[in-house]
Amino acid sequence: MSITIALAGNPNSGKTTLFNALTGSNQFVGNWPGVTVEKKEGKLKGHKDVMIMDLPGIYSLSPYTLEEVVARNYLISERPDAILNIVDGTNIERNLYLSTQLMELGIPVVMAVNMMDVVEKSGDKIHIGKLSQKLGCEVVEISALKGNGVQKAAEKAIAAAGKKEGTPPVHKFAPEVEQILEAVEDKMDGTVPQEQKRFFAVKLLEKDDKIQSQMKHVPDVSEEIRQIEEEMDDDTESIITNERYAYIGAIIGECYKKHSKDKLTVSDKIDRIVTNRFLALPIFAVVMLIVYSISVTTVGTWATDWANDGVFGDGWSLFGLEIPGIPVLLESALTAVGCAAWLQGLILDGIVAGVGAVLGFVPQMLVLFIFLAFLESCGYMARIAFIMDRIFRKFGLSGKSFIPMLIGSGCGVPGIMASRTIENDRDRKMTIMTTTFIPCGAKLPIIALIAGALFGGAWWVAPSAYFVGIAAIICSGIILKKTKMFAGDPAPFVMELPAYHLPTVGNVLRSMWERGWSFIKKAGTIILLSTIFVWFTSYFGWVGGKFRMLEDMELNHSILAAIGNGVAWIFAPLGWGDWRSAVAAITGLVAKENVVGTFGILYGFAEVAEDGTEIWGTLAGSMTAAAAYSFLVFNLLCAPCFAAMGAIKREMNNVKWFWFAIGYQTLLAYAVSLCVYQLGNWMTAGVFGIGTAAAILLVIGFIYLLVRPYRESKTLDVNLKRMANAK
Amino acid sequence: MPLTMVKAGEPNIIRKVGGKEETRRFLENLGFITGSTVTVVSEIGGNMIVNVKESRVAIGKDMANKIMVG
Repeated sequence: MSITIALAGNPNSGKTTLFNALTGSNQFVGNWPGVTVEKKEGKLKGHKDVMIMDLPGIYSLSPYTLEEVVARNYLISERPDAILNIVDGTNIERNLYLSTQLMELGIPVVMAVNMMDVVEKSGDKIHIGKLSQKLGCEVVEISALKGNGVQKAAEKAIAAAGKKEGTPPVHKFAPEVEQILEAVEDKMDGTVPQEQKRFFAVKLLEKDDKIQSQMKHVPDVSEEIRQIEEEMDDDTESIITNERYAYIGAIIGECYKKHSKDKLTVSDKIDRIVTNRFLALPIFAVVMLIVYSISVTTVGTWATDWANDGVFGDGWSLFGLEIPGIPVLLESALTAVGCAAWLQGLILDGIVAGVGAVLGFVPQMLVLFIFLAFLESCGYMARIAFIMDRIFRKFGLSGKSFIPMLIGSGCGVPGIMASRTIENDRDRKMTIMTTTFIPCGAKLPIIALIAGALFGGAWWVAPSAYFVGIAAIICSGIILKKTKMFAGDPAPFVMELPAYHLPTVGNVLRSMWERGWSFIKKAGTIILLSTIFVWFTSYFGWVGGKFRMLEDMELNHSILAAIGNGVAWIFAPLGWGDWRSAVAAITGLVAKENVVGTFGILYGFAEVAEDGTEIWGTLAGSMTAAAAYSFLVFNLLCAPCFAAMGAIKREMNNVKWFWFAIGYQTLLAYAVSLCVYQLGNWMTAGVFGIGTAAAILLVIGFIYLLVRPYRESKTLDVNLKRMANAK
Repeated sequence: MPLTMVKAGEPNIIRKVGGKEETRRFLENLGFITGSTVTVVSEIGGNMIVNVKESRVAIGKDMANKIMVG
């Protein structure tokens, strides 16, 4: 018989550390159905038949956050065999608030008081026996970080699960509240099991409509609610909350002796400096500079170059030993077995080149993920959100959106993946949609090409590209915030800041690897298929009426060229209706730096420099300055490369949202490019046509979207409700 | 007086939590209930970090304005 133990506790209580300690590497990471809340399961070390389910970190079982709804739906409908409630010993009063709610579920509960080492060090004392007696459940002291007591906690939970009996709640509320609860319990019929009656009675009193929809028979308790609200002069939810805290307050004195009275903790002292009104931003800037310079420029660039040019390139040397790159090795192997030319092309130019270009970013991403994992688990990430929140809130993003964007200036893929640290669903989606507007490293060659070919290398072109990116983010934030999807007041900023602590190497590496691996898997699926498609369309085509495989220099006969010709008219209003530009933009979807190379091939150069110096003259002859800038803007803002799209899909975890993001980006790119070209043409050449009028209308519409009033807030969105109702 | 007027390091008792229901509930779950002690750790431009029931909570200015202490 297999049993399931659910791990429940407050955010920052050390739940993830405990989960890792309990399960080791036997973990399955996924998402809860329909939402982007991470779901983790694992087998208990040494017990094949014991599953540990890591619930999201929650403060209560109320219906106000997605995490809470997910956690309580699981607890109510799946009914695990036992709950292991992890409690932060340094913050026991607040943590017990959730515990009192878990006890009411009628499921066996074992409490693990974590961070006992910290508690003991500070001279505080927690009387485990008293706590166990007052709450009516088994209590174990643990230190998840050091691994102390972890196995004991698991064994107690298994034993509790074996008993099959829920932990009857020992805690009592004020007599008048108890009386009402009893009356409500009596009104319930047999569809609610005896041991769950108290939970449902409390929820009914709290007017929790999501729970009501899960009950077969909902008794009418409005009379009871009216009676108690009148008697205690408060609404029922506040009454229950106060009763819980009152009970905890009544027992805490016996169970918990505080040694240090009102002395500032180490974390408070650090916060005095790190979030100080004068020092906060400089310290933040220094931290970001370190993260950026190591993970994006120095070590990151080195790692990416090694992977792209070495492992997936010509080869690299290890202490003087020349190691050939994968393409070189594969090529000789394929030639040796006499592989057909087309298959060799598919493998080398298609799959290895395409997937390799994407996998090439993995080492850099891993470096970055180490930093992110460290910042996250040491507690500084929460402070970043606090420091930057004031600024980012103004355009509908969260303080944490800064990190994805900063990283996105190196590469959009890790940038998008860094958005994981944003808990708020709306803020995260908005960040994912806007991060790639910042010019990434691969877009720099396009900027250099346009700046060199059409603007004589003018200094302002590159900065203006960044300005366009930033403006796109700010305007998108403001516009999207006013749409129905993102409507609602930005929830006032309230967030718990975890105590600072040094994370373990194991946890940092694990977190790094989880993120890295999920990206690698993506590269193996979506990106693989897309690169095969682009390879096929660019290496096959009709030459002289015959369909055959093409040489490198025959791109203009390819299917891709035909597609380019077919879609070029779409881009005509943007000023670059030439099929070559369309094809270049399409190959840019594989990797943005391809744009320059494609132009090179289409203009008859086999190989061009990174900034495409050779084709500057030809390009300048075929485009006007306004058209070129419009081309640049389009490529900066439109759907990013396949790798980044894969990351968007992964992080959105929802097909509809994925297409919405890609669609929005492309539409915005089209609209802005149209305005750039048409208005630019009007101003420089004095041409006024239908396009110009359309551009002016677009600008007006854009301004309207920017300044129109906010919609009424409807913070509890429909999805959440549907979720709660679904089994 | 609202929490925003409190000097850093000074313990105060919460008298009332106002604001929208959803946020008020969230604050209550975090321990911001009438009668509990709250201490301001630091403050930037109205946004503040406060200590309540042994935990540090960051709250925005608009919310801090709706927490009455005394």
